[in-house]
Amino acid sequence: MYIRSASAISPQLSFQQMLDAPEGYTGDRLRCVEPDYTAMIDPKMIRRMSRIIKMGVSAAKDCLGKAGVEQPDAIITGTAYGCLADTEAFLSRMIGFKEELLNPTSFIQSTHNTVAAQIALLLKCHQYNNTYVHRGFSFENALLDAVTRLREGEGENALVGGVDEITDSSHRLLSRFGLYRANASTATLYETGEKGTMNGEGAVFLLLSANASSGDYAWLEGMHTFYKPATGEEVQKEMAGFLKNNNIAAEDIDLMICGDNGDTKNDKIYQQVRNESFAGVPYLRFKHYCGEYPTAGAFALWLGSHILKTGQLPADAEKLPAPPRKVLVHNHSLNIHHSLFLLSVC
Amino acid sequence: MDKLMADLKRQIIEQLNLKDLKPEDIGDDQPLFVEGLGLDSIDALELIVLLQQEYKIKLANAEEGQTVFRSVRTMAQYITERQAKTA
Repeated sequence: MYIRSASAISPQLSFQQMLDAPEGYTGDRLRCVEPDYTAMIDPKMIRRMSRIIKMGVSAAKDCLGKAGVEQPDAIITGTAYGCLADTEAFLSRMIGFKEELLNPTSFIQSTHNTVAAQIALLLKCHQYNNTYVHRGFSFENALLDAVTRLREGEGENALVGGVDEITDSSHRLLSRFGLYRANASTATLYETGEKGTMNGEGAVFLLLSANASSGDYAWLEGMHTFYKPATGEEVQKEMAGFLKNNNIAAEDIDLMICGDNGDTKNDKIYQQVRNESFAGVPYLRFKHYCGEYPTAGAFALWLGSHILKTGQLPADAEKLPAPPRKVLVHNHSLNIHHSLFLLSVC
Repeated sequence: MDKLMADLKRQIIEQLNLKDLKPEDIGDDQPLFVEGLGLDSIDALELIVLLQQEYKIKLANAEEGQTVFRSVRTMAQYITERQAKTA
């Protein structure tokens, strides 16, 4: 499958900005850099949209614009948390008014499929529309749906996205599990040897096409997911199987994009894989750009696609001897949901 | 009545998140829906909640909405009538 275009609203302003100087953060969370939405969305629609909807709709519109596509043949999103701010708004109202009053707009907009639905409404697109809510596999399953549909000839293209937002309440609740590290810094995220990471968020959209075009960002050669590996050896076995299925060897990989997030326990998996199965393969860690969140795999694909299209890496990455032609993305969420993507230059 | 209409204009802007509008931008007799402020059916639900939340008034039946929510003045008249009945 060809990635015709890729757009993101993330804690980084743009890929171009990452080539100059990636945005750095301190604290325990990263926040998306948001554009002026009024230039992209009808003001009448904006007033009803919460932050995640605006982020998702804007990223989707930008992605379609870059590809020169007005009407996609499918809109498929993945989100683990859904529209949290709207959910909080209507639940708070219900509690405040003793379950007698429901705030209609927040209630309607609180469902997980709102982003995909709002994109369709905006485009007046009556094609296939689906949303996957599968925790750390939400984006991956949306992508798998798109790939499967295109392979079966269900349309020429598919708009696929991964969206998740942080709200103050969700951050407070998730922090109770000890997931985040107070006073962290993206500059030293991987070096402290401590528990916990930095919370993240983002809205990423890709336009996939079964047919090549002149401006493609990358070719998605293969993808694979696996659940709750018992050991590091099992992870390596899954990765070896994935390479074999795609007829390549570890030495063929020019760059690995890895989901290390600074949490020593979960990062050990990545380190073991790199040391034992991919020794000598250059790698780039990406969570200091976007933070840790269940659909961060979408950001990794966005990043990999841009690296392949431009042949350039973010300014803080180690230089490669030559522009990469094959990129392997390995990401996992809490060592439960593992995903692999194989990208090639077009 | 003027005070009630001023309150309603402020509450409508807040409830419907009409950030670009100021209370003085809404005329007392300006239609709220379609050709007026351009509100729609979801906004109608929000206005029903507004009446209940701010004035403890429940619309007796759905058909009433068409006349009650015609303008800020008709809303104010409806609220005044209902409050007089329950007083």
